[in-house]
Amino acid sequence: MRKKMIAALLTGTMVLSTLAGCGGSNVPKEEKAQEIKKAEAGTEAASKETVYPSGTITIYGTGQPQYLQEYFDAWLERHKDIAPDVKISIVQTEGHAKSREKITMTALSGAVDDLPDATYLDPVNIMELSQGGLLKDETEFLQPYLKDLVDGAANDATVNGHTYGLPESVRPNVLFYNKEIFDKYGIDPAMMSTFDGYMEAGKLLKEKSNGTVYLSYISPGSKTWRYWGRRGLMPQANAKIWDESGNVVIGQDEGAKLALGTLDTMYQQGLLLKSEIMEPALYDAINNGQVATFYIGAFWDEFLRKNCGATSGKWRVMASPEFESVGKAGAPVSSYFCIVNKGDNVYAGLLEQLWHDFQFDAESRNTWVKSMEKQNAPYANPICLKLLQDDFWKAPSDYYGGQSFREMEGKCLENGAANLVITPQDAEADEIISAELETYVAGNQTMEQAIANMDKNLKAKIGQAKIMK
Amino acid sequence: MLQIIRKNKIPYLFILPFFLLFFMFQLIPTVWTFYISLTNWKGIGAPEFCGLENYKKLFIDNMFWAALENTVVYWISGLIIIMFLAVVIASLLNYGHLKGSTFFKTVTFLPNICAAIAMGLIFRMLFDENAGLINEVLKAMGIGKVPWLTSTTFSKIPVIILNVWRNTPWFTMIIFSGLLNIPRDYYEAATVDGANMWKQFCCITLPSLGNILFFCSITLTVDSWKLFNESYILPGPGTSNTSLFQYMYESGFNIFNMGYASAIGVILILILAAISVVQLIARRKQEKI
Repeated sequence: MRKKMIAALLTGTMVLSTLAGCGGSNVPKEEKAQEIKKAEAGTEAASKETVYPSGTITIYGTGQPQYLQEYFDAWLERHKDIAPDVKISIVQTEGHAKSREKITMTALSGAVDDLPDATYLDPVNIMELSQGGLLKDETEFLQPYLKDLVDGAANDATVNGHTYGLPESVRPNVLFYNKEIFDKYGIDPAMMSTFDGYMEAGKLLKEKSNGTVYLSYISPGSKTWRYWGRRGLMPQANAKIWDESGNVVIGQDEGAKLALGTLDTMYQQGLLLKSEIMEPALYDAINNGQVATFYIGAFWDEFLRKNCGATSGKWRVMASPEFESVGKAGAPVSSYFCIVNKGDNVYAGLLEQLWHDFQFDAESRNTWVKSMEKQNAPYANPICLKLLQDDFWKAPSDYYGGQSFREMEGKCLENGAANLVITPQDAEADEIISAELETYVAGNQTMEQAIANMDKNLKAKIGQAKIMK
Repeated sequence: MLQIIRKNKIPYLFILPFFLLFFMFQLIPTVWTFYISLTNWKGIGAPEFCGLENYKKLFIDNMFWAALENTVVYWISGLIIIMFLAVVIASLLNYGHLKGSTFFKTVTFLPNICAAIAMGLIFRMLFDENAGLINEVLKAMGIGKVPWLTSTTFSKIPVIILNVWRNTPWFTMIIFSGLLNIPRDYYEAATVDGANMWKQFCCITLPSLGNILFFCSITLTVDSWKLFNESYILPGPGTSNTSLFQYMYESGFNIFNMGYASAIGVILILILAAISVVQLIARRKQEKI
């Protein structure tokens, strides 16, 4: 009996201690949840109370994201009170699609801990990852700030009324031109305010230079669709791949014909140098004064500055030419800072605060930009309206012969065309369209055939796209 | 069956690790691929069953047919050129009077140990239309620039050259090891009988290498249908030089159309199985196995 009582007591003790153990582990979890909740509020007051656990935040970035490290490190240094042992590590990926690929594969393998804490993404990839529940919904956090940001800053990251990315940059499609070349041949760059004038300028350049100077470039690869098509001529011509119901209409759409027809005219008239963009061969041609203009996103500035030092002071920027029948300037290209849903992303609040300060804190942003300029490194205009009014963002740029590139970047956002509608099928559609465009550039089909094949293949492989509101 | 296993426990234990790995990493994924090919799976969320939809799409997808055609070109060209070069180079290395054979053997094998992507990048520079060394040489010879990687006509050539350059050494070494196993007596007897070098090659060397050449052709066939690095790093316009394996990868990991990519994978498995069976039957008919 005594033995039985002792056994019962021991069993009872073990059960209690097990329960206590479980209960014990719940306490920090609740605290952690509260911490996260506070952090997610994103306000200075809340975050001051929160001390983030030690660890390394991983962020996926594209282009030359390593330069952001300087800002992040300085920011962490200033925020030792809330993040005493937190580090930020930036992982460079080939592009937004590659970031999406890595995130999807990691999530698929179940290695949630290996997911990055945040990533920079474009709208097409936000669409894909948000559908998979891999991005944090920022609708509530972002709401109070929207009025202070440039128009439509969060639009392209909004899917079914939920915003899955914090706006990082909104950069217009612009026209870079080499003023020296235009001066040499006595051509007025102002004539390039319309696409008819742009093509006319190309013809004059070709005639006057005996064919040595090209109006611009054309890529034999996928960049033609990306820069001339999806981000350039297509939105400006009000072109459509899909109709409102998601049916394929690229083959019948007048805007698509206008956009791709314009590219066809330039290419057939020999105005475009066939060369891959962002490759040494094209940089050589630019430095040798063989390419007069670039109709491309404002991001091209960083590539020009870095690789075409020989043309420093010769370049200028103006708004993209317009189609007279549409009357819209270049469409903006947005990039977003997205926080990854990885279970307990303990740094979500910290990352939101970091984004907030990067966009709204003039002093730290200006210090960083000055440093970037010294290093010939990339930076984009802020998207905060108040910051943009500061004279700092109107300062002249040596590389642009005294013209203020920053100011022009802001001005070129005016009257911007609306981007193409983004659907979850666009990544696949881009592959199909680009393949036909590449075959056209290679000279194996006419533009009419290319458009007809795009239409046929999109219908065969995708059929109908899902239009998200 | 159980009795046989019990009786031969030790040998079965020796082959067990292979079969465990085979089941885990080959058989189960293959069955899984068959299943996924019948779904609309984007990589995230639950697969949605769609029957033979992906296979129907394949038949009307001209990008798939282009990739299939390119892969056949890579297979045939690889089989002919690599086998020919491997036999010739191996025979030269096996030539009794060759001075510095160790040096030549090392040099011959070098392309195979170079990283494929690094070599691809170098080839991309070499074949660049505007600034590539190949076009510079052609220009110096009075021949115009060739749009190697920017035209659908030429874009497969750099891929074939890179494929041949990288794979020939491996097959050379296999064939060379086969040559070393042919008894010298055969050649001495043939020489006494008055057979010249060509006759000796046709009547002794080639028949003696039969099994090795068969093995090489099977391996080369599988390798050619799995060709990826070369065409991935040397992209041409559209799908002009895309391999089927690359198209499968791009469908799966660029577009995340896992169901469609799996359907391509299943087609690849079926094609390879069919080719291997045909090769095996042909070989059996020759009564060599």
